[in-house]
Amino acid sequence: MTPPILTVTAVEKHYRGTPALRGVSFDLAAGELFGLLGPNGAGKTTLLSVLAGLTDATAGGVTLFGKPFTSRDAEARREIGLATQDLAVYPELTARENLLFFGRLYGLSGSNLKRRTDDMLALAALTDRANHRVDTFSGGMKRRLNLAVALVHDPRLLILDEPTTGVDPQSRNHIFEQVRRLNAAGLTVIYTSHSMEEVQALCPRLAILDHGRVIACDTVANLLRQLPTTARVTTAQAVPETLPGVTGRRRTESGVELDAADGPALFAALRHWPGLEMAALDVVPPTLERVFLKLTGSALRD
Amino acid sequence: MPTLTIALKDLRLLLRDPRSAIILVVMPLVVTLILGLTLGRVFTDKPDSKIRISVVVEDEGLGDEPRAFPDRPWSEILLDDLADTANIRVERIPSREQAARLVERGDRSAVVILGKEFSRRAQRCSFVGGEFKRDPINPLYRDGVKADELGVEFLTNPTQPVGSSVIQQVVQVSLLRVVIPWMIGQAFDLIGTDRFMVKMEEKIPALGIAYRVPGFSKARLGDGIRGGISDFFSEYDFNAKTWSGLTESKRQFSVHGAVAGFGVVPLKLAVQRKPAAAAPTRGENRTVYADPKDVQYQMLVPGTTVTFAFFLLLTVGWLFVAERRHGTLVRLRLAPISRTQIILGKALPCLAVSLFQGFFLLACGKLIFGMTFGSRPELLVPVVVSTSIAAAGLSMLVAGLARTETQVAVYGTLLVIVLAGVSGSLLPRELLPENLRQLSLITPHAWALDAYSQLLNPDVATPQVGRVLTACGVLCLYGVVCLVVSRLVAKLD
Ligand SMILES: Nc1ncnc2c1ncn2[C@@H]1O[C@H](COP(=O)(O)OP(=O)(O)O)[C@@H](O)[C@H]1O
Ligand SMILES: [Mg+2]
Repeated sequence: MTPPILTVTAVEKHYRGTPALRGVSFDLAAGELFGLLGPNGAGKTTLLSVLAGLTDATAGGVTLFGKPFTSRDAEARREIGLATQDLAVYPELTARENLLFFGRLYGLSGSNLKRRTDDMLALAALTDRANHRVDTFSGGMKRRLNLAVALVHDPRLLILDEPTTGVDPQSRNHIFEQVRRLNAAGLTVIYTSHSMEEVQALCPRLAILDHGRVIACDTVANLLRQLPTTARVTTAQAVPETLPGVTGRRRTESGVELDAADGPALFAALRHWPGLEMAALDVVPPTLERVFLKLTGSALRD
Repeated sequence: MPTLTIALKDLRLLLRDPRSAIILVVMPLVVTLILGLTLGRVFTDKPDSKIRISVVVEDEGLGDEPRAFPDRPWSEILLDDLADTANIRVERIPSREQAARLVERGDRSAVVILGKEFSRRAQRCSFVGGEFKRDPINPLYRDGVKADELGVEFLTNPTQPVGSSVIQQVVQVSLLRVVIPWMIGQAFDLIGTDRFMVKMEEKIPALGIAYRVPGFSKARLGDGIRGGISDFFSEYDFNAKTWSGLTESKRQFSVHGAVAGFGVVPLKLAVQRKPAAAAPTRGENRTVYADPKDVQYQMLVPGTTVTFAFFLLLTVGWLFVAERRHGTLVRLRLAPISRTQIILGKALPCLAVSLFQGFFLLACGKLIFGMTFGSRPELLVPVVVSTSIAAAGLSMLVAGLARTETQVAVYGTLLVIVLAGVSGSLLPRELLPENLRQLSLITPHAWALDAYSQLLNPDVATPQVGRVLTACGVLCLYGVVCLVVSRLVAKLD
């Protein structure tokens, strides 16, 4: 495995004594598309602020590209692109003016600046609206521009903080596509979201953050493998208590859901149980939401 | 380079937002115009723009008995003094009845009546009485001259209080200029005379013994006292009995009118004596302002220019708050640039806007309001520049501390108005209480106004270049210190 480009070690962050991050550790290899999943208030934005050099950790450390990284490290910031959770573009400027301005701030100039600006307008699908003021844009267009601005200086690490907040499904798919494409081209990405579908769909590996702690950090496949198989039984009858290997049981509107470590055995037992008439028997697909539920005992959605 | 990038971006944002232009350029012009018109109405009477003083002369004069002074009726002396006052036009109305009709109709806000007794009463004015002067009158009191003791009456229209009080003040000043030298002159004529020496001996009996000393006499002591006094006050001729004789035209008398304006006391200028009429001024390069309208704008324009220079605070505050509200402040902090670069990047466009504002308003002052740039126009450049530096520095400091638009609007406006008030930009500094006048020097406004006053006030014959440059230095220092502090305390997170 390539050496990690980012190592987060026991990072703590307190806001006037109130902890927002409590000992966060994980690392990131070059070229990864890494998910950061957690409910609102879990500390995701706080963690990204530390990673992007906006603020310093109260304790613990961050190593970026092999060197210790703090907020005073201006040169290392050049390698990072952060698409903030709140939109951060000038509404009075046009899309192109925004990109030119931020490009210049990062030291781009001349034909290089022009080329990057044109590329980013294309990436955000805003080429035909390039010279329109941003305050005439829809929410989705602003989000796309926000992403493009984070990329204009060609960073090595892209950090996205809830990049699909307030966008229509079309813009959302566009953003997904671009993130996948950029990652395929070698860009390392941290994708933050409170939506487990998004992270599950996009990120091969992820960390789950809750109350400022990393409660799980693994590949999606490994996390899902922790879950038992769940069978959803649709029936008017009472399902017998004596089924073998059942570890969990929940009543639903139309029947019951049963968990078991050995799925095939449970299905076989149900199908052949004498006198049990079922309208339907389905496998409930494993989801990150259920992983979260299992790990914390509470639902992910707020 | 990033500094310049930020500066150009902010300049572009400012140009796209009409609010700044309205606050910084349109408002001061409107205020100048309104104040100019308000003040102008008081002092000017169309079609002739001089202040008109209407007089009915009923004075019967002094009769034929021989006397040393004066050689004509006192009413003529007074009218000549009025006519010699800059921007004053004397109009004689034939009768009291006609005057009363004019005042009642509101065609004149006030008419002065010099009564039958005027000359005889003026002649009786004296500091000394008893055996020296029969029936003396001392018409002086704390606020000037008691007009009624001299037989002077004012017919006034109660619906025009401002106009009539201006006329009364102007006449008061003329009466002072006529009566005081006369009273002083008589008193000084007495000094050293025999009668005076007899009186002195009554008070100081030891003098009688001193006179016995050979070579010392009453007459020699009298000459000595007279000579000593005139040596001591060599600038003045106390015996002259006329204002121009008394002051030898070196001093000018002016009234500070209680007319609040932006840094102006137009009345003071309006009642000032015409320098050319009194005596030729000695080698002074003076501009004579014939039209009081020009005189007003002469100080009105710098007053509004200085006051509104500090409204920059609202613009800068808006820039900062917008940056925070749009979340772009975070992006500036993400970029590989320093805090100093961010602060400078914001300060530069503010300075540019302020410079434009300063020069633009002065140019408007010349083109629209007909003001002149005085004898050293080139010195206006450092004054405008240093005022802008101070305004930009202070604005950066305050705006960097504001977090919301409301904070900018409320605290910013409050600060701007308080500073303008304390500094004397809103009310002439002469009218402020003594301790507040000292306090006003902590405001950049006061320094800027002083520098402008040196250069533009027609009252100031030759600008003191040192004083102007000191003010510029103080203003620059003020701006730079504010900027350094703002670099340290500005809330960028
Ligand atoms: N600037 C701040 N000052 C004080 N508390 C903060 C600040 N930012 C975030 N917090 C608190 O820290 C916790 C984590 O917030 P955040 O990182 O925004 O969570 P997330 O992005 O996962 O929704 C929350 O309890 C939030 O109230
Ligand atoms: Mg967040």
